[in-house]
Amino acid sequence: MANIFPRWTNWLPIKLLVCAAVVAASIVSGMAYYFTPKYTRVGYQPTQPVEFDHSLHVNQLGMDCRYCHSQVEKSAHSNIPATQTCMNCHTQIKAQSPKLEPVRQSWKSGQPVPWVRIHKAPDYVYFNHSIHVNRGISCVACHGHVNHMQVVWHDKPHSMGWCLECHRAPANHLRPLDQITNLDWEPPTGTSQRDLGEKFVREWNINPPVSCSGCHR
Amino acid sequence: MKRILHHPSGPANGRTYWRSLGEYARTPDFEEWLHREFPAGAAEWEQDPLSRRNFLRLMGASLALAGLGLGGCRRPEAHLVPFTQSPEWLISGKTMSFATAQPRRRGAVPLLATTFDGRPIKMEGNPLHPFSAGKSDNHAQASILDLYDPARRHHLAFQGKRAEAAQLDAEVQRLRSEATASAGATLAILADETCSPTRERLRTELLRQFPQATWAVYEPLSPGYDTEAATAAFGPGTQFRANLTNASTILAADCDFLGSEDGDLADTRNFAAARRVRKPGDKISRLYVAEPRFSITGSMADHRLRLRAGEVGAFLLELGRQIRGLRANAELNAALAAAPDLPLPHGVNPAWIRECAADLVASAGRSVVLVGRRQSSPIQALSLAINSALGAIGNTLAVQPAISARSTSIEDLASRMKAGAVKSLVILGGDPVYNAPADLSFASLLSTVPSSLHLAAQPNATSAKTSWFVPGTHYLESWGDALAADGSYLSIQPTIQPLWAGESQLEFLCRLAGHAKPIGPALIRETFAARTNQIGPALEQAWSDFVREGFLPSPPRSAATYTVNAAGVAALTAKIAGSSETSATSLEAAFVSSPAMDDGRYLNNGWLQEWPDPMTKLTWDNAILLSPGTAKALGLRNEIIKGILVADVVRATLAGQTVEAPILVAPGHVDFAVSLPLGYGQDELGPVAKGSGFNAYRIRRTDADYIAPGLKLEKTGRTRQLAVTQEHQVMEGRDLVREAAVDEFNQDPGWVKKVGMDGHIPPNQSFYKSPKLDGEYQWAMVVDLSTCTGCNACVTACTAENNIPIVGKDQVMKGREMHWIRVDRYYTGEPEEPEAVSQPVACMQCENAPCETVCPVNATVHNEEGLNVMAYNRCIGTRYCANNCPYKVRRFNFFDYNQRALDKLYWGPIAPKGTEETVKLQKNPNVTVRMRGVMEKCTFCVQRIEEAKIRARVKARDSADIRIPAGSIQTACQQACPADAIVFGDLKNDKEKVGQLRNLPQNYSLLEYLNVRPRLTYLGRVRNPNPAMPGARTSYIPSHGHGESHGSENGHGKPEGGH
Repeated sequence: MANIFPRWTNWLPIKLLVCAAVVAASIVSGMAYYFTPKYTRVGYQPTQPVEFDHSLHVNQLGMDCRYCHSQVEKSAHSNIPATQTCMNCHTQIKAQSPKLEPVRQSWKSGQPVPWVRIHKAPDYVYFNHSIHVNRGISCVACHGHVNHMQVVWHDKPHSMGWCLECHRAPANHLRPLDQITNLDWEPPTGTSQRDLGEKFVREWNINPPVSCSGCHR
Repeated sequence: MKRILHHPSGPANGRTYWRSLGEYARTPDFEEWLHREFPAGAAEWEQDPLSRRNFLRLMGASLALAGLGLGGCRRPEAHLVPFTQSPEWLISGKTMSFATAQPRRRGAVPLLATTFDGRPIKMEGNPLHPFSAGKSDNHAQASILDLYDPARRHHLAFQGKRAEAAQLDAEVQRLRSEATASAGATLAILADETCSPTRERLRTELLRQFPQATWAVYEPLSPGYDTEAATAAFGPGTQFRANLTNASTILAADCDFLGSEDGDLADTRNFAAARRVRKPGDKISRLYVAEPRFSITGSMADHRLRLRAGEVGAFLLELGRQIRGLRANAELNAALAAAPDLPLPHGVNPAWIRECAADLVASAGRSVVLVGRRQSSPIQALSLAINSALGAIGNTLAVQPAISARSTSIEDLASRMKAGAVKSLVILGGDPVYNAPADLSFASLLSTVPSSLHLAAQPNATSAKTSWFVPGTHYLESWGDALAADGSYLSIQPTIQPLWAGESQLEFLCRLAGHAKPIGPALIRETFAARTNQIGPALEQAWSDFVREGFLPSPPRSAATYTVNAAGVAALTAKIAGSSETSATSLEAAFVSSPAMDDGRYLNNGWLQEWPDPMTKLTWDNAILLSPGTAKALGLRNEIIKGILVADVVRATLAGQTVEAPILVAPGHVDFAVSLPLGYGQDELGPVAKGSGFNAYRIRRTDADYIAPGLKLEKTGRTRQLAVTQEHQVMEGRDLVREAAVDEFNQDPGWVKKVGMDGHIPPNQSFYKSPKLDGEYQWAMVVDLSTCTGCNACVTACTAENNIPIVGKDQVMKGREMHWIRVDRYYTGEPEEPEAVSQPVACMQCENAPCETVCPVNATVHNEEGLNVMAYNRCIGTRYCANNCPYKVRRFNFFDYNQRALDKLYWGPIAPKGTEETVKLQKNPNVTVRMRGVMEKCTFCVQRIEEAKIRARVKARDSADIRIPAGSIQTACQQACPADAIVFGDLKNDKEKVGQLRNLPQNYSLLEYLNVRPRLTYLGRVRNPNPAMPGARTSYIPSHGHGESHGSENGHGKPEGGH
């Protein structure tokens, strides 16, 4: 009796398995790369209603982050400045600049400037700014060098794994409290971030939460 | 190796605890139900108009549609919208508290409103005010939901059509000119009671302008009998109230002072303080209760007598005679001499009264007799005479100036209306069409008045009958003032602009008096200035203190002591009437306020609809309450069919008026009398109110407003399903509540450890590894069962704090209510004469949590501080955890309760989605709003814990001192608890109370033998029975139930099976 299956079918299961493995591996790696915040969020740079230039205000004019984001040390939210804050200066400086037209409009009409949101923690995440900036974490740790950005982009992935990286090893990011808003700060020569950070962890009793309840309520 | 746990059976010759009559009788239906977590059919779609097949078809179609676009992949553009000008003080994301007060008919409750970004989200008691001392009750907690009730959205309306503000201005002008022409004779104002001095001032001014105008005040649940008696006894303008600070022996005759009698916050706190025993020898007060319906006060009683409401007079007369024999007193003598000689109520053991009287006299000066406000003024007067004999006046019974003035009654107003004298009627608040006595037929009288106007926060039955409806304001939307029950002056300040452009009563009255609409608090400031007699900067300072702290510190009490006027009391007690005989065909009807709905004002409040009645555990309905014996005599039944309580519907006839209502068999109710809870049965109030309960006001008459003989109940043959939470999640009789008489406690304070299995737990080998509990804090909670009155305020507080949705009557019947804390109420003894005990149960935060080991996705895990935490976002809804929870405290979102209308839950994806914007405003932003398919449970208010930790660290900055000070975190239930029965804190801090309480010998945990090591434990309840009382039970500790079976012999924890 002739063979029902020709000879080449002997290799078929193995070929199929290899194919399936390749397909699965590419799906997994594709998802891991394209579907995670590292790809989906980092680099997001929407056009804002006003061409506000952080690098100009911070680096050239020397303004502190907290002049505008005034509640960052007190509240969970770091506030977007009210139109009033812009107008404090811009009634005098560049009072006629066409770039500032939306701000003046807002001031006149009472309608807020609709800034486009870049960083967003999901609703089930209770991130608190005040605890971070009051305990040695600089703005730069999560937002990148905003002081060099003409147009702000999403610099860090803000995924849960990324949060936990720091919560498990805070020493890599701690710095003196008077350098929180100095985004270009480097550890003084002769010291390393690691040594300095570990010293702060000890002296300030730093123990960030790593259990669910720390951020999810 | 399989371990089979043999749960211990209940004590063999001790007392058994039961939660319902079904459980008591062990009916087969109940037995079957017991073994199912949810009633039969709960997991199936029986009543569903949409079959499973149709649903799948629809789902398939919607999936296909979703697949076409792939539009969901991209993150939508969102905007951050800052202010244009920053409001002062506001820090976005931080809460602020404002002192205010909730007006009630017997004095306002001082409160703090917590606001978040300008919207009030939670009410708490004002901690500075001695009356609330930071505590609150279910109505204060739930009133926040009324503010956001979408049913309030209503325009200014004239004859049912939308009207403009200018039209109302013209109407006010017309009212004024009409009243001016008649010197007010044609104008009548019918108002609710707000105890507001400013309104009183405006009233005086209006009556000065229109001297012949009628000002009537109507409150369906404030008959004023006690004020009449106070007037006779102490002179006009006085009133009395309990002061239980030093009370050691209390007799409550038909007086639910811990529950539905108003002004219970201070009473509950003082009563609880006197019941708190920590170590042997501690003093404990004693409570006697004589009442018809089992109330929560009755559940706290050491001795309870079933007594018909109509027999309270005869009962008190006998008590008075006994007291007179022991302690001579002129006032009591006079009162008794004038009173008729009524026979002792049938079936009442004279020894009960004799021993009770002896005990009251023995602690004279610290004892008090309290009589319910629904009892007539002669009986109130008699109680004053008795209290005078007991030396209670000025000690345990405070006498003070009246907080509200007497006005015309609604009966007088009705007769004026009948005579056609009233041309214009202004109704301020209230709902007289719904709740006025039936014999007045107020609705038809109202239609004879040419012009009528109703101003109310929410349109109701009265608004539909008046020619004008003016939207009013909620107390959180307007300036106001009020007197508290103790007479102190409270400020009411707005925390939000009127959501629907309402106008407050004060603003409207101001216009009616011909003044311009007041700006801000101007009106209140005038009253304040007049009360304080201050001017200039001193007034400024006093005013800002007043608004900030919410009240004016009362001046020291005047030295004036009140004494009972014997002649005045005797004139009243001469009118004490006996009660007529009752039988199965002629029952005594007693009207009671519904603990949830009050007089009906909260009927459209979902939180209160789903709030189980503290005793009957009934939700979404009211029912005629009667005793098991009476039900049997009348052939009426409550049956449990497929796990749902099905009640016979009866036709109740009283003096020609009828109403149809379901009956509910209430253990402990007096025979041949029924209780009719008021406040339900008004469908027009809104979608939540629709279809709930029956309107008992329909058979309530002026001449028999509370206690009416001659009620007939006839079977209609129809039945109604009732949603009771009582028999859900039964834990069987496993010594969950442990009680001891105070003598037993004094002999052996560690009795709780010898009850049930606790003495014989073998050394445990846990199969699972315990979590590492090395956090900086270790959270725990202790509930003191001696002081918990079972008032259920914790349930509402938790609902408000933790964004707990309501699920509707249908779902409650399936056992799907979402409350994170429930109060179990156990009856013990015979169904006719039971005792009762309440036990709040929330997540135990077990150290060896059984729920965690079965979660396939690690959605519920332990944190290092001993909390069993839920990560909602990980939960995939297997419900294994709920299945494995021995306490049944995990609640599952079977539907998207936050997104779908409760009557369209089964429509699936075709139901309209979304919540009313205003309802969203109430949500606590610090707690996730859970969605369908997610398990949830008590978190020990983890948001408050984390908030406190963050606060301490922010304060520490670069120092190492990050510890939270002791006592700085309160869970929502603890904060509300008026009895201070709940204590929460950190076990690692010696200064925290919770650690000290956990180390007390009377501390025990539920189902100790399971070795789950709960972090929520209980202090055994101590009762204080009087051994001299007839039938006194001196032993509460069940005798050793399991006889010879000790240690490992009895099989618990014994390995069985071998694999």
